[in-house]
Amino acid sequence: MHSGLKVVTVAVVTITVIAIVSPAVATAGQTPSDELFPPYTTPRTADGRPDLGGIWQSFTTANRNILAHSAEPGAHPELLGAWGASRGALSIVEGNELPYQPWAAAQQIENYENRTLVQVTNDPSRFDTGDPEIQCYRAGVPRANYMPYPFQIFQTPEQILIVYEYKGASRTINMDSEQGAPGDTWMGWSNGHWEGDTLVVDVTGFNGHTWFDRAGNFHSDALHVVERWTRVSAYHMRYEATIEDPNVFTRPWKMSFLLYRQVEENARLIEFNCIPFVEELMYGPLGFLGRQEAENQEPDD
Amino acid sequence: MGTVAWAPRRVSMLLLAVMLWASIPVTGQAPPSALINQRSEETVEAAREASPRTPEETFAYFEDEVDEALAQAIRQVWDPTRIRPNSPRTPWGDPDLGGYWLNAAYTPLERPDELAGKPLYTIEEAIEAFRGYVTRDASVDPATVHYDWTEFGMDIWQSPVRPNRRTALIVDPPDGKLPALTPEGRERLQTQARLDTLESRSLYERCISGNQGPPGIPFTQQTGEAQIIQTPDHVVLTMQSNSDVRIIPLDGRPRPPDSIRAWLGDARGRWEGDTLVVETTNFHEERKWRGAADNLHLEERFTRIDEVTLLYEATITDPTTWEAPWTVEFPWPKLEPPGLFEFACHEQNYGIINVMRGVQARAAEYEAALER
Repeated sequence: MHSGLKVVTVAVVTITVIAIVSPAVATAGQTPSDELFPPYTTPRTADGRPDLGGIWQSFTTANRNILAHSAEPGAHPELLGAWGASRGALSIVEGNELPYQPWAAAQQIENYENRTLVQVTNDPSRFDTGDPEIQCYRAGVPRANYMPYPFQIFQTPEQILIVYEYKGASRTINMDSEQGAPGDTWMGWSNGHWEGDTLVVDVTGFNGHTWFDRAGNFHSDALHVVERWTRVSAYHMRYEATIEDPNVFTRPWKMSFLLYRQVEENARLIEFNCIPFVEELMYGPLGFLGRQEAENQEPDD
Repeated sequence: MGTVAWAPRRVSMLLLAVMLWASIPVTGQAPPSALINQRSEETVEAAREASPRTPEETFAYFEDEVDEALAQAIRQVWDPTRIRPNSPRTPWGDPDLGGYWLNAAYTPLERPDELAGKPLYTIEEAIEAFRGYVTRDASVDPATVHYDWTEFGMDIWQSPVRPNRRTALIVDPPDGKLPALTPEGRERLQTQARLDTLESRSLYERCISGNQGPPGIPFTQQTGEAQIIQTPDHVVLTMQSNSDVRIIPLDGRPRPPDSIRAWLGDARGRWEGDTLVVETTNFHEERKWRGAADNLHLEERFTRIDEVTLLYEATITDPTTWEAPWTVEFPWPKLEPPGLFEFACHEQNYGIINVMRGVQARAAEYEAALER
């Protein structure tokens, strides 16, 4: 049986460091041109506000990398073969480039190399290791909006609640509120207002532990996100976000992508509570699992 | 980077406190879990005895706050014999349950033996019982006891908790006691009793779900906040503990098949007059709430009584675990915003490491003692 703290390094088999080799292809994120959709009048809620309610999901692969990326094998091709592999895709970032400060560009490479490193401690150094997603941590904003999981929006006049299928994480958008973030959190503090039919959300109060993607693109606790949510059809919503973080980037930058509405009969979120899925990864090396103890029993014990 | 993690920290510290102190009484062939389970009372007692102040001296220090809280509370004694729902309505005409609510009570789950045959206090007795609980909590020296839910600032008398004429949360069976366990239920509880592996620890310690249900029964007199967001076709119930979210569709859609299981179950809601009735099934096989099996059927009823009160009722049915269904009932007083705050339990679950090291050390000492 293992005992004590132990660094678990899952072998990183892939050899491509994608994120730093950005092809010089300018794109305007991943939303379609304005002309594609005919003029659309957003339906209204009981209190007369634009109705964004429903189950939405992005179909990008930006959760793997917000910049352009090729198809690649997963971290354990010897175990998972094509199951672990993922698609290539264009970037959701305008210009396909992140304006990192030099130290931050180096940090992103280190993050990428250590993205499957899990080191569970009972002090804050636990947050210096791999991708928060691999440990079932909250995804933060904007990442939660382009993870490969749907989310559901509920509206009242004073608050808009977004419940994400991933981890059952939620965030409350306080409408027309002067209240600032009372403390740092994973999902941030969201204040919203309407600009025409667009929901504009100002998000601050992050703790700096979340990443933008599995490629190690990151930010600090100075992250400031301004989101713009605009329905463009009965089944589509444009999502745009402006990202500011003077500790990490040299200038603000933008991302955009399209959200698709789930319209299947009885569409619903299915609970995705990933904590039981990560206990072996996180606590197994500390020797806490009974099933592991049983497996490791010597025959003469 | 200043991480504010008050909620997980108080959970972790509580668990840590529970694991400290205490020697191992080795008595016969008791399994390690029995020993581990004994700790918390001893720990709290030891901490209280360490105080240089008497309980009376501590209470005197907080007396003004206590007086103020009691003056508030005794104007709002919960009297279940005088319920006349008068619910405000949403713009679309449903009873309006929206807002922040307090899921907490001093009333014990089961009626104490000395109150057998007495389901209701008089108003005066209810106030007296309430005063007793508050006095007990306010007499705990905060310099010695930390994070045990009686510490000043965490004890529930500083919330809008109400005195209650009921002597137990359980209103059915009429004796105010949990129904007898079936043989199968008893066996399930016993096989669960091992506590020195991560899988056998509570879902709350592992941050898989919070300590506020479902059903939303207060956990050993701790504070617990709830938020209800309401739209014409959904009610969403969020609990502060673990930020657990339950999405309750109201459109009469069919249940998912048995093969779909969830730690918080699968909820369906409907209006019956002024009452929101929520039926929840499809609980996860490994949840084993109070020893229940995965066929647990939960019916909850939420009724807005007035501006500041939501009546909460829950009936728990599982014939493979209990000989009869049982029902709890108590008021959820209204809370003012700002309400809830993100409870990232798993992300900052430092406590589980200390808990596991503690119980493994206990189990090893126990086994060594047995060998001697």
